[in-house]
Amino acid sequence: MMNKTKGPTMLSSQGISRRSLLITAGVVGGGLVVGIPLMSGDEPPPPEMMSEHGGYIPNAFLQITPTNEIHFYQPRAEMGQGVYEGMTTLIAEELDVSPDTIIVHLAPVHPEFKRPGSPAQGTGGSTSMNAHYTHLRQVGANVREAIRQAAAAETGIAAASLIVSDGKVVGNNQEWTYGHFAEAAAKQPLPENAALKSPDEFRFIGTEHNRLDAWAKVTGEAQFGLDVDFPGLYRAVVKRCPVAGGTVKSVNTNAAASSPGVFKVVEIFNGVAVVAEHYWQARKAADLLEVEWYYPELANTSSAELRQQMENALEHDEGLEADKQGEGAAALSQSKQVIEATYWTPYLAHCTMEPMTCTVKIADGNCDVWVGCQVLEVAEGMAAHYSGVPRENVTIHSTFLGGGFGRRLIADYVAEATAIAKASDVPVQLVWSREDDVKHDRYRPVSLVKFSAGLDDNGKIETFVVRNVSPNTGAYFIDDSIEAAFQGTIPWSVGDWLSKRGYWLFENITVNGGVVEGLSGNYPCPNQEVRHATVDPGLPIGYWRAVGHSCNGFFAEGFMDELAHSAGQDPMQYRLENSTHSPRMQTVIKQLAEKSAWGNVAEGRYQGIAAHESFNTPTAQVIEISVDNQTVTIHKITCVVDCGLAVNPDIVRAQMESGIIYGLTAALYGEITLSNGAVEQSNFHDYPMLRMDQTPTIEVHIVDSQEHPTGVGEPGLPPVAPALANAIYTATGQRIRELPLNKAFKFS
Amino acid sequence: MISFTLNGETVSTDAPADAPLLWVVRDIFKLKGSKFGCGAGLCGACTMHLDGVAVRTCILPISAAQNKAVTTIEALGDRENPHPLQTAWVEHSVPQCGYCQSGQIMSAAALLATNASPTNEDIDAAMSGNVCRCGTYPRIKAAIHTAAKMQDESLGGES
Ligand code: FES
Ligand code: FES
Repeated sequence: MMNKTKGPTMLSSQGISRRSLLITAGVVGGGLVVGIPLMSGDEPPPPEMMSEHGGYIPNAFLQITPTNEIHFYQPRAEMGQGVYEGMTTLIAEELDVSPDTIIVHLAPVHPEFKRPGSPAQGTGGSTSMNAHYTHLRQVGANVREAIRQAAAAETGIAAASLIVSDGKVVGNNQEWTYGHFAEAAAKQPLPENAALKSPDEFRFIGTEHNRLDAWAKVTGEAQFGLDVDFPGLYRAVVKRCPVAGGTVKSVNTNAAASSPGVFKVVEIFNGVAVVAEHYWQARKAADLLEVEWYYPELANTSSAELRQQMENALEHDEGLEADKQGEGAAALSQSKQVIEATYWTPYLAHCTMEPMTCTVKIADGNCDVWVGCQVLEVAEGMAAHYSGVPRENVTIHSTFLGGGFGRRLIADYVAEATAIAKASDVPVQLVWSREDDVKHDRYRPVSLVKFSAGLDDNGKIETFVVRNVSPNTGAYFIDDSIEAAFQGTIPWSVGDWLSKRGYWLFENITVNGGVVEGLSGNYPCPNQEVRHATVDPGLPIGYWRAVGHSCNGFFAEGFMDELAHSAGQDPMQYRLENSTHSPRMQTVIKQLAEKSAWGNVAEGRYQGIAAHESFNTPTAQVIEISVDNQTVTIHKITCVVDCGLAVNPDIVRAQMESGIIYGLTAALYGEITLSNGAVEQSNFHDYPMLRMDQTPTIEVHIVDSQEHPTGVGEPGLPPVAPALANAIYTATGQRIRELPLNKAFKFS
Repeated sequence: MISFTLNGETVSTDAPADAPLLWVVRDIFKLKGSKFGCGAGLCGACTMHLDGVAVRTCILPISAAQNKAVTTIEALGDRENPHPLQTAWVEHSVPQCGYCQSGQIMSAAALLATNASPTNEDIDAAMSGNVCRCGTYPRIKAAIHTAAKMQDESLGGES
């Protein structure tokens, strides 16, 4: 596919307004051809790019200035997972310059920044490296080739005799910069399929390189959503109904409105907002609001009843079929030995380190939004709807995200901030407290699962049946996002109506993949059946790091351990024998056995193993513990991962460590409970986080591979909880089928 | 009117005595490096030094800073002239999302100022008030050891 472009390629910002640049871009034919297969080629590059730096702009990603600056618009949200470093490395490799020499920008909304293969500019699902590995290298290679061609044309030296490397073009004993040929390159067609380097030519991919965003993040310079500031900006806090979905019945604002520093008190769609000069003033005043609420149905549910409802459903509601192989559950009756077990995990909150925040300014027919979020179009649509400003006049300014983990896929905080800015008529920065964050999250769903497995005479699995009861994450995501995603295309009311259909769809017609993923599949067998029944009290849920795998890994790998013991086999060996379909997993498990010294630990130490593939990345872990008087000490976690080619092995290790620690927090402590529909937890004292003194030694090994990279942001998480529970079983004979583990054991 | 020194400079503010130091520094003096994580003294994201001691400024009323020296991450060092902890942090690629790291580094700096070669246990004790949701603890620990070594070497070189 070829896209004709796109206006001038040499632009200087001097004295030209952004609007005139846009117009110029539209009317002046530059003759530049963008050759990479882009999603949509009709839009000029983001105006930020043109107005600020000028130079050669072959596409929305890259800009080479006559002064030889290389600017890269990094298209994915940086929330800690390392795309700032990783995406830049891909570009740098094929431009053949060190990643350190590239000036990286966080991308605004633009069609070219949609994730390849996806309709949206979203970041999640451990997809970025997999989706961009070839794509961004091709972008870099094409532009390097363009510089080479332009240099050849201008110098008369044969293209093949030119060395284009490290920002310099060298030929005939002469030397120029890439930037020297920016103007000439802009006048030529952009090569389309320039040859990519072969892996043995890589200089940066596959090597360890310090994170490019590290300096900004150790000096306090990195800008997060909360750090946005400008003269005239007010701070806002929202008082919401303690039960999600409740709305304002009546409010007495007198005391709040006359509290020091308060500018305005305004009612928005889900609560009452106090707008003040400073945050602490707004927070204090919000406590003085007297609000009566219309409570939603959720107010009738507390955690104990919910558990009861789910158990009833497990018993009586056969639900929908998600998967069936062979004879399915019917085959169970033929097995010699049938093992059954029921597992449970609670709701969880994300607790990104930076609570939700968003800054909105509505002025002169424009709406400017400064925010760190995971799906930019949804944020844009929310801002357009709640500001009343046409979508094309909404600008999203991306910041670093103080953690994402799926929480910032949802743009509820953008909607709130925009509604407040609109109602109060001043620019506002909405600041959530930690209490707001813990009490008004989109939670990881609660889940109840029953396994039944039929084993043959040799203990091999012949039939595997899973019944799952939970609410449907996908339905909430659709409800939260559809109308905003399509804002401006279909009427909001129609989008809203559509967005509510997901609940019905996943309750009656088809199974929501996100809730059953990872329940089966690690160990295929002739007869399999997975069924899902919906029980949903209405607490908003969402995507939480590793999504369905976050709990299903615990269920499936805990149960696998039970099967191994029932079959009288070594749990590591048993997994190997039942995973022959996956050579990658086989390698992972074998390496893990060796690296963890499986079965060869000191007196008083015990090991547990779990192996789970998620997001196409097989990962397995062994956890070594000791137990003294119901107190567990975790000594060491050994992790082996196969993520294909590790673009930056150090970041792969960091993501494994990160997933493990995030997973350990959930395994040990994580539990959100409801009392009359309201979340009972509020801050880190009653929703604790793992801290340094509780963090064990973590050792990560990466399988050596040249295969196309797969994701690493999430796959480190699912094996943690089951490996730990399995180790506890080895040590104590006590099988734990519920999280968090601190209900049964203490942890030192 | 409350006066204190902020990164070496004398400043004063008419913010009310109970306004938290964190927000005064962020929103009145516009230094955004110190972060807000819990507002309850539970996470350390807001850590600054008050007369050299690490304090949680989200719950520290501005009145407590009267006539004292407040130091924030901005004064610890920069790219050209970094504190050994910042160099070590970069070498170990410690930051992930980065949001907790100002507070982590300020806690670590207070530790190194009184304990030039901390043990793992010393580090655990000094750093366990700082939450990192991205789980960078193993790297933080390694980086503190590296920084201690760097400091030691540079002191040795000078003597
Ligand atoms: S924000 Fe001060 S300790 Fe958490
Ligand atoms: S680096 Fe993200 S919270 Fe510490």
